[in-house]
Amino acid sequence: MTTTTLRRLIVLGLIALWEMLPRSGLVPELFLPSLSSTLVAGWNEAGEYGQALTVTLYEVAISMIFACGGGILLGAIVGSLPRPRILIMPMVSSLYAVPLVILYPVFTVWLGIGSESKIAFASIYGFLPTMLATSAGIQTIDPQLLLAARSMGATLSQRLLRVVLPAAIPTVLSGLRVGGALVIVGVVVSEMLISSAGIGYLISRYRTILDSPHVFAGVLSVLAMAIVFNAAIRSIERKAAIWQTGTRGGRDTTAAANLQPAT
Amino acid sequence: MQPLANITPLKPAPRAGTIELRGVGQVFRTATQDVTALDDVSLDIRPGRFVVLVGPSGCGKSTLLMMLAGLRQQTSGTVTINGAPILQPDPNRVGVVFQEPSLFPWLTAEQNVEFPLALRGTPKSERRARAEEALKLVGLDGFGKRHPHELSGGMKQRVSIARGLVQDPPVLLMDEPFAALDEQTRMTMGDELLRIWAATGKTVVFVTHSLTEAVYLADEVVVMSARPGRIVDQLQVSLPRPRTYEMLSGDAFGALRERIWRHIRKSA
Repeated sequence: MTTTTLRRLIVLGLIALWEMLPRSGLVPELFLPSLSSTLVAGWNEAGEYGQALTVTLYEVAISMIFACGGGILLGAIVGSLPRPRILIMPMVSSLYAVPLVILYPVFTVWLGIGSESKIAFASIYGFLPTMLATSAGIQTIDPQLLLAARSMGATLSQRLLRVVLPAAIPTVLSGLRVGGALVIVGVVVSEMLISSAGIGYLISRYRTILDSPHVFAGVLSVLAMAIVFNAAIRSIERKAAIWQTGTRGGRDTTAAANLQPAT
Repeated sequence: MQPLANITPLKPAPRAGTIELRGVGQVFRTATQDVTALDDVSLDIRPGRFVVLVGPSGCGKSTLLMMLAGLRQQTSGTVTINGAPILQPDPNRVGVVFQEPSLFPWLTAEQNVEFPLALRGTPKSERRARAEEALKLVGLDGFGKRHPHELSGGMKQRVSIARGLVQDPPVLLMDEPFAALDEQTRMTMGDELLRIWAATGKTVVFVTHSLTEAVYLADEVVVMSARPGRIVDQLQVSLPRPRTYEMLSGDAFGALRERIWRHIRKSA
């Protein structure tokens, strides 16, 4: 049996357990509603979930642009210039270790409980690892490659475009992976804390009335979002980093993606 | 008919591939002191010669090669190739082959070889044709679509050589190109390089740490001393070509190797 089929069997087994354990009464429905009742709950309130998902996706999309765009841009600048790097990077690294979620109440005071505060929080949350990864990626470019390009008469802009940029792509992508995942976490968590809309808000509202099937339907939609995001990044990685020899472009990146700061 | 027989030009234009170093020096300025890396190096290399630079670590042989490549400027003296000074990298005069990891891993072998042509905006069809020709010359016919990680160490260096030759420069500079290879591959690549050299007639300047490799490949071995780098000896290797494995154990070979070794031991 190949690893892939084994992996699929494990997933199928977990899904089956999810259905069977609550049905057999081994696990109370309050703790874990069966998969079918979760799906039915979600289906019955499809309009509400759809609306919440739209809000959440909108917040995630805007935050991704800020977090990933800004993180890559600033990371590239800071990574390629030694002086700002020495000045800024220690600050960014220590900021990364701070549980940023403590700032979220402050954001709601400044920006209200609507989408703005979520976007602000999630953007900063995803920005830091993306910037750190990009700046590290720019620094690890083999100077020998730049020397070789120079020996062939490459101008500065040709070196940036044809050497630095493609060489940085794998690290930038792994930064995107971490940053993007954190943006999703940031949006959903902030919705769960203080808000009036979004999937996170639905989850916490149904939790307060102990409606487990509806809570799990929300969990399932966040899960689906994360899986789609992961698949998208993976397909970009496969296309852009075909030359990576399995170590960075392949499965090992998932280990780096699980790297999370204290929340 | 000899109308111009008694008129000699003041200075005949040197043939393509002529290298001249005149009183070349390199001083690195650090905060506390000036370090002389090269001191008054003069050397003439005739077109089509295979010249190997050897010397203890830090003797400035790589620095010298970087000057010939236009990647570093000397602090004194002149460096000329084809009679014109080298002030910046000039891929039409000089091709450079580095130590192992200098191929772009995101490009295929073919695209790597095409890279210097692409920088100059050569049309795609011409690029492809010349890359194919260069890959064929180094014995990699049919491997053009592979990425570097799909090639062995020896094959990667073949691609590097093809890239150095693709613009047909008269001079090929090689900075310890086989240092990262295992011994068997290294021997094979030495023979391959000699075959390519014989086929193209390039002037080759080759830096190595291996004395055996130096004597095996060279027409002439230039021995340098430790810092400050100076030329301490120039040996003509008159072993017949093609060079063979049997020569390695011959007396002539051993005598040359020993002479180089004595210089290096003295200055190390």
